[in-house]
Amino acid sequence: MPSFPTPTPFAAGLVLLLLALAPVRAEEPAFRLSPANVVLRGKADRQQLLLTGTVNGKELDRTRDARFQSETPTIVAVSADGVVTPVGTGTATIIATVENQQIRTIVKVIDGDRYAPVTFDKDIMPLLARAGCNSGPCHGKARGQNGFQLSLLGFDPDFDFAAITKEARGRRIFPAAPDHSLLLRKASGQMSHGGGKRLAPGEPGYEVLRRWIADGTPRTPSNTPALERISVLPTEQLLTNRAEQQLIVTAHFDDGTSQDVTHLTTFQSNESVIAAVNAGGRIKAGPLPGEAAIMARYMEKFAVCNVVIPLPGNVPADVYGKLPRNNFIDGHVWDKLQRLGITPSDSASDATFLRRAYLDVIGRLPTAEETRAFLDDKAADKRTRLVDRLLERPEYADYWANKWADLLRPNPYHVGMKATYNLDSWLRDAFRRNKPYDQFVHELLTAQGSTFRSGAVVLFRNRREPDEITTMVSQLFLGIRLDCARCHHHPFEVWSQDDFYSLAAYFARIGRKGTGISAPISGGEEIIFTATRGEVKHPLTGRVLPPRPLFGKAAAIEGERDPREVLADWIVSPDNPYFTRVIVNRVWADLMGRGLVEPVDDLRATNPPSNGPLLDALAVDFRKQGHDLKKLIRTIMTSHVYGLSSLPKDRNSADLRNYSRHYRQRLRGEVLLDAVSDITDVPETFTAMPPRARAMSLWTVRTQSVFLDSFGRPDPNQDPPCERSSDSTVVQVLHLMNSPNLHRKVTADGSRVATLAASGKSPREIVDELYALVYSRLPSDDERAACLKIFDEKGTTRRQATEDLLWALINTPEFVFKD
Amino acid sequence: MALPRNCAGMTRRDCLQLGLGTVFGGGLAHALRLRSVAASSDAKAPAAKSCILIWLDGGPTHYETFDPKPNAPAEFRGEFSAIPTRLTGVAFSEHMKRLAAIADKLAIVRSIRHDQGNHGAGNHYMMTGAPPRIPVGCGAFVSFHPSLGSVTAHERGAPAGLPAYFSIPEMSRSGGPNFLGAKFAPFVVSDNPNSPGFRVRDVALPAGLTGERFESRRDIRVQVDRLQRIADKAAGDPAAALDEHYQQGYELISSKQAQAAFDIHREPDRVRDGYGRTNFGQRALLARRLVEAGVPFITLYEGGWDHHKDIFKELNKRLPSFDATIAALIDDLAQRGMLDSTLVVVLGEFGRTPQVNKDAGRDHWSNAMSVLFAGGRTPGGQVVGATDVKGFSAVERVLSPENFASTIYRKLGIDPDKVLYTPQGRPSHLVSDPTPISELMG
Repeated sequence: MPSFPTPTPFAAGLVLLLLALAPVRAEEPAFRLSPANVVLRGKADRQQLLLTGTVNGKELDRTRDARFQSETPTIVAVSADGVVTPVGTGTATIIATVENQQIRTIVKVIDGDRYAPVTFDKDIMPLLARAGCNSGPCHGKARGQNGFQLSLLGFDPDFDFAAITKEARGRRIFPAAPDHSLLLRKASGQMSHGGGKRLAPGEPGYEVLRRWIADGTPRTPSNTPALERISVLPTEQLLTNRAEQQLIVTAHFDDGTSQDVTHLTTFQSNESVIAAVNAGGRIKAGPLPGEAAIMARYMEKFAVCNVVIPLPGNVPADVYGKLPRNNFIDGHVWDKLQRLGITPSDSASDATFLRRAYLDVIGRLPTAEETRAFLDDKAADKRTRLVDRLLERPEYADYWANKWADLLRPNPYHVGMKATYNLDSWLRDAFRRNKPYDQFVHELLTAQGSTFRSGAVVLFRNRREPDEITTMVSQLFLGIRLDCARCHHHPFEVWSQDDFYSLAAYFARIGRKGTGISAPISGGEEIIFTATRGEVKHPLTGRVLPPRPLFGKAAAIEGERDPREVLADWIVSPDNPYFTRVIVNRVWADLMGRGLVEPVDDLRATNPPSNGPLLDALAVDFRKQGHDLKKLIRTIMTSHVYGLSSLPKDRNSADLRNYSRHYRQRLRGEVLLDAVSDITDVPETFTAMPPRARAMSLWTVRTQSVFLDSFGRPDPNQDPPCERSSDSTVVQVLHLMNSPNLHRKVTADGSRVATLAASGKSPREIVDELYALVYSRLPSDDERAACLKIFDEKGTTRRQATEDLLWALINTPEFVFKD
Repeated sequence: MALPRNCAGMTRRDCLQLGLGTVFGGGLAHALRLRSVAASSDAKAPAAKSCILIWLDGGPTHYETFDPKPNAPAEFRGEFSAIPTRLTGVAFSEHMKRLAAIADKLAIVRSIRHDQGNHGAGNHYMMTGAPPRIPVGCGAFVSFHPSLGSVTAHERGAPAGLPAYFSIPEMSRSGGPNFLGAKFAPFVVSDNPNSPGFRVRDVALPAGLTGERFESRRDIRVQVDRLQRIADKAAGDPAAALDEHYQQGYELISSKQAQAAFDIHREPDRVRDGYGRTNFGQRALLARRLVEAGVPFITLYEGGWDHHKDIFKELNKRLPSFDATIAALIDDLAQRGMLDSTLVVVLGEFGRTPQVNKDAGRDHWSNAMSVLFAGGRTPGGQVVGATDVKGFSAVERVLSPENFASTIYRKLGIDPDKVLYTPQGRPSHLVSDPTPISELMG
């Protein structure tokens, strides 16, 4: 407990009042005005102030409870909402009064008695964006609206400047009488305007436009500082239900100056039910606990404020202090749970952990013997040793290659069977050797040679145009989705068409020799090599774009060097945080049931991770461990968090993204089919595969399997290729229940059932065996007794009883889900 | 064990034996008589008992279907000419021959428009009546709101044993139940009714297993199913979703109506030929059989309408049989006296760009689209709204996806202003603007 301040007489009364109301002792709130060191430049500048009160370590926005006052009204004025505007030039003090406390801040005004020249890029463009003029449904759409077209969301200032000042013979602008300009008359609804009234005379926005027109619509002077970034204050905020929080958005320029642009910013919440935001940047928390990301956009820059609304009620801090911390993962998860007021579930039982670990590392169930051995093991470190053992199993490679095949598997009708097989083999080999992930990606991206000899080159037979390779590579290896930027500036990201085609230019010199695509067989051989020439042009300007990475720096392409090598170096380099983040997020999602970022390959400021510090820590650790995927899996699986039960306790049932409990997952189609074959001891027969082949070893979707298709196997021959589905459906349930194939596996001669029934085992031993096989545990006494009754039923043979019990076990969620 | 009774007083076990163990000879009419006992009798009968929603995925062109622009310059008009219809002054594009001949039964809405120009978002808006809450990518499969079909299943239910919402042959991107839960997800029939051996997979017991044995297995399953479910709905326990699917699956295989409705082979060749011996034609026929069995919502999903390239070449191949099948469906429903109680709707996520592009295609265009309505007491022989002379934009009687969704709900006797609650307790209006398209309401 922090020391208790000596109360003043009035505050003592207040404190007594608080003590009477609050369950815990309250300390006197401490107040803070932000930002500090405000500097205003020019008469049109302004600054929103925030008054933050801190009670018991919790911060509250008290801006609207304060009375603002300018101590120096000849220099600055301040509105009731806390917006400071210049009146003269000099230094002034603002006083905010709240709960009988006075908090002061100093404001310096430079050139406060005259307007700084209005600039098109900095003042006018954001105004158009905020009024919605350049949005998709209005003038921003591809053909404009009513003959007036702006670039979508204002990403092309040159175009927009011309559209406003030069097109329509300049009749949109009338500098001699600015108020009569079409631009203002339409926007203010004084002339009929499809978009209605967007700006009113007297409003700051209207006045800025008016001054700009009166000044003769100058383009931005070349010495104007360029916008580097924007920041939002606060960036993280805990709110109670229905509480409010004002945001401040600050633009930072390359000359070191900054400016409050809150009033020129567009805001959007990704979960408006949890926390909504109004046009002025004031967040209002809803009635439910949860999290939301509030996106602020000013010009082409973004910033995000993450809002957390904790579960009401107090959890003593030492609850979190006492939680186990096996490695860094646990600390990050507990920190987040503490912020949300969520408490974690208990640890899962040994049997649950065993089944989970087998399924996660090698994609198969433990045998009955393996289950018994693990359950009988009394060693304290048996879970860790289990993970280590599993990582050395040969099935690891097939299982993880199978996952990667979902992402990389080519369309067999497009590239041909031999090439499909080669890429599949390359993947399996990479996981068998535990190839470091950076090397894996580098080899894929720079592959050269024959599709008949090298698997990695098949990627470039399947995807042929630089732009289609680019979208795939950036989404897969950077978690950056560039599809939008093919045709226009990405509307909720920073990527432009320039960025996209400059990146695509790295794939411009892929040479191909041999037999091209001749669907649907496409059996020919093709050689991929580095061509001496090849270029990518901007689709609108036709300009040839030299290769350039999305951000940061890449080496120059010298001499004969394949541009793809330079790109691959840049992608895997330590300076590229996306590369490791997206892969650790992918693996985390596989093991934990949900990505820190969802969808797992959509990393962007406007889609923040549920636990940013954890994602960063995992990425840093992964790089430190030499991009070793097995080590990453081991790190995650030996955390305490991984071993939690899926069953919630009283304070975490609604948690779906903070890992306070394990999230159940339906087993993948291949895993389920192999499990059914293992349990029944009746292998599946696949075309073009050796006897006893496992579903996990299939290398093409052309190997037919009704089972796999029912359970969501993706089909690379669809356009766009379907993603794997992890939902459960009636079709799947019916398949397990009634399909002739499952029936055969349960009842066939020579099956597990037949062998067990014919053996000398007692019914009790048979029941135990089936439980170990299907559920990876032994039955409780109660369960066992219920099952034994099946064997006692009149007219039921041992064989029938065993068949019926096995069928029943396979048809329950305990089998179909990883718990 | 006391089995619950359904199917007009028979036990489930009887049903199983009837439906699966014996040759079922009563035909669909017999099944329908049985069903009428179970069917709910609503005091205020809705206009339509069922809706067949034909979804043309990719965004069908309005120019080459129901909104030709013969007077626009060639780069907008395209290669097809306009043909007259039974309605004075109303023209369709040249391949819509059979629909033009029954235009007196159709209502074409030419003025629905919205602001979602990519497939993921456009699909969501039209399939649910709600725009996506956050920007979504083009290829996205997103769900922020329950789909028309899921809401109908939730509100209207189905005859015992039959799913209330079918999607054939696959689910549309945003055609899911969202917060309503797995019970209201579509039942997907991916098997092809145009193939000679068509049967809906796995809805009959495997050969060699008696109904009695199946029932006893089912009892055993109840005994061994001990995985603890998470009671709080907000936890979104997928095991609970599986339970709902299990229940539905069990009811389906116990249902004679379902078995009969799926048996398309009972249709005379004349009828099957009339719908066209194409995958789409036979799916439309299957949809009609499901409507007869009392299913309230069926989505027929037809992919491949994203004609960025070679639109005329592709549509020359595709439109004639498409036109024939939809006309056959409407005619057949009318002849059977079912058109008044069955709403048929044809649409995609948006229309296509006015100017033919350099690849002889048209791109995405949400400022105008054409939607066909027939049946469900929709006054036929009318065109609602209009686009401008070049087809750029809906200009007369501009309507929204909300109006579209509200129309369907109203027709099906569902109040579009109804508030449903999510498992978290958040209220959610079915449609934010519950105004139906008055011209279609009759």
